[in-house]
Amino acid sequence: MKIFTCIKYVPDTSEAEVKLNPEGTAVDSSRFSFDINDADNYAVEESVLIKEKQGGSVTVVSIGPKQSEVMIRMAMAKGCDNAIRIEDERIAAHDPLMVARVIAGAIKGQDFDLVLTGCMANDYGQAVTGVALAEILGVPHAAYVKKVEIEDGKVKAHRELEGGLMEVVELTIPAVLTIQTGINEPRYAPIRGIREAQKKELKVVNLDDLGVAAGDVDADASQIILEKLYIPEVESKAEIIEGDPDEKAEKLASILVKGGLV
Amino acid sequence: MVRPLITFSFLRPIAGLQKNIPLMRGMKMTTENQTFTEKFDLLGCIQCGRCTGGCPVTVRTNLNVRRFVYDAYNEELLDELSRVAEIWDCTACHTCAVRCPKGLKPLEVLIGLRSLVVESGKTQPTVRDALESVFREGNPWEKPRATRSDWMEGLDVPIAQPDEPVENLFFVCCTIAYDPRVQIIAQNMVRLLNNAGVDYAFLGEDESCCGSEVFTLGEEGLFEMIIEDNTELLNAYQAERIVALSPHCFTTFKTRYPDLNKPVIHYAELLDELLEQGKLAFKSGLSKKIVFHDPCYLGKQSGVFDEPRRLLKAVEGVDLLEFERARERSLCCEGGGGKMWVESESKKERLAETRIKDAHALGADVVAVACPFCVLTLEDAVKALGYEEEMRVAEIMELLGELDIEQEKTNSA
Repeated sequence: MKIFTCIKYVPDTSEAEVKLNPEGTAVDSSRFSFDINDADNYAVEESVLIKEKQGGSVTVVSIGPKQSEVMIRMAMAKGCDNAIRIEDERIAAHDPLMVARVIAGAIKGQDFDLVLTGCMANDYGQAVTGVALAEILGVPHAAYVKKVEIEDGKVKAHRELEGGLMEVVELTIPAVLTIQTGINEPRYAPIRGIREAQKKELKVVNLDDLGVAAGDVDADASQIILEKLYIPEVESKAEIIEGDPDEKAEKLASILVKGGLV
Repeated sequence: MVRPLITFSFLRPIAGLQKNIPLMRGMKMTTENQTFTEKFDLLGCIQCGRCTGGCPVTVRTNLNVRRFVYDAYNEELLDELSRVAEIWDCTACHTCAVRCPKGLKPLEVLIGLRSLVVESGKTQPTVRDALESVFREGNPWEKPRATRSDWMEGLDVPIAQPDEPVENLFFVCCTIAYDPRVQIIAQNMVRLLNNAGVDYAFLGEDESCCGSEVFTLGEEGLFEMIIEDNTELLNAYQAERIVALSPHCFTTFKTRYPDLNKPVIHYAELLDELLEQGKLAFKSGLSKKIVFHDPCYLGKQSGVFDEPRRLLKAVEGVDLLEFERARERSLCCEGGGGKMWVESESKKERLAETRIKDAHALGADVVAVACPFCVLTLEDAVKALGYEEEMRVAEIMELLGELDIEQEKTNSA
């Protein structure tokens, strides 16, 4: 089983205040820590689990800066075999279609059985890249996958739908799966493993190396224009409920009932 | 289950490291080729049982450290032993090491077993996240490195420069730097030092985790890397000594950093010295019954018992009480040994609650500590027991911050 697993280096916005640049066109990321996108971490684990069961190889694909190599080495320490890091300022990285074209450029022309991506990225949250990638590669896909079964050259993907419903779809191989968090428990990459992973191949390429025309993936090609980012105004209303526990519970229940919340 | 001692198979190395691997910055090659038995000197154990007899967590978990020391002779059992949940109950308080008549460190056998788990990648998610955070951001709390000095906001804090000599180079600690409950330890320290006219500087955002909890969680490779990076960082400064705010950093630097080129002291030692030299004087008092809880990493591991007591006694009005289990016999609060990230399966009373009950029985108004982990665990226990109205847990720096400190004489002259 030959697998490509696509991962993204994203800022963790949960622990630092989000600030914008003065033009309102970009987030000031100087105070954020960066790490692998949450869902992509599960995609790495799932690809390694599939490899451990079925044999084969896992290639990591990522578009990102030099600093993201730590994240890539961690994925390789967990069991991925080699990696391609794409770095090129011309890529309109805010547009998932452009990103999908670049990743497709790295995969096209090579044999593969599965491409795994996270179902959604922590930063832009569009949940499009994996699906667009399947379209460009001309293979079937399943999105928001919570369980993968591989039998007789086919993939059975359990998809998470609204309201907790699960849908099971069967796909022919090759296919693209966008992986939902919670599908597994990502393992830890010990430092000795990361050190070992230094021996594995990590290719750094640009658009020219991939044979992708810059005019197909740059800001001019993108149909998304980023006009403005802004921080929503914070509004809050709080009511402190006084009294002994019984009174508090009664008041709270009545507020919830009046508000139509229960 | 009692397992027989089947065979002495000393041949299998615990970590199959290979040489000639390109290294990432700060990574050091381990010369790891000892067996588990050699590494922990298991044959030195005479099975006297003082380790288990003194182990504080045995009252609430099934951990039997003597059993592990015995079973770990058998290298074929190591994998199985590493899957026993109790290896994560150890708080690394070091009571077993203090009491061992052969000078062994039974707790390190448990840490060695944890290492097998960590090397396999199958750690608990909380442990995984803490370790990854140390690797990426230099702290186990999943906070950005860039916000490490946010606690300094509004304070006048000198930041150390490698080419500027300084007497006291302060090391804050990840928990004190990031946890809003204990940031006050560092903030009050800065106010006190500025008032007393002490020559000092902090490291700022260059400071990185000392690795105390990385070591006890069993991540040997990461700990080696941290030691190398921190030694290089700290040795580059022209400081006479390093002053650690947390006993965990203090003891880790003292005992596990062989190449540091300057001595390390705990802040209680510095303040005690200032008191003795007449450079620190309190203008106001504190009319409280205070009992001092000896943190394991300050007391039984590093022998600093009297300095914090002298500091408290120097405050007018303080009635200093003593626990029955004090000094070397101090009861662990269960905050160390990586326990901040691993919950015991036991539902029995936490040791911190036992400790707070003891303090309550003594009639203490304040349980004074000199460790950020002790503040967090003991304060939780006060809340769990419903004693919030009657008593409080306070770090010594919190208490001193409530006093008026006499301005340094040379300032007013």
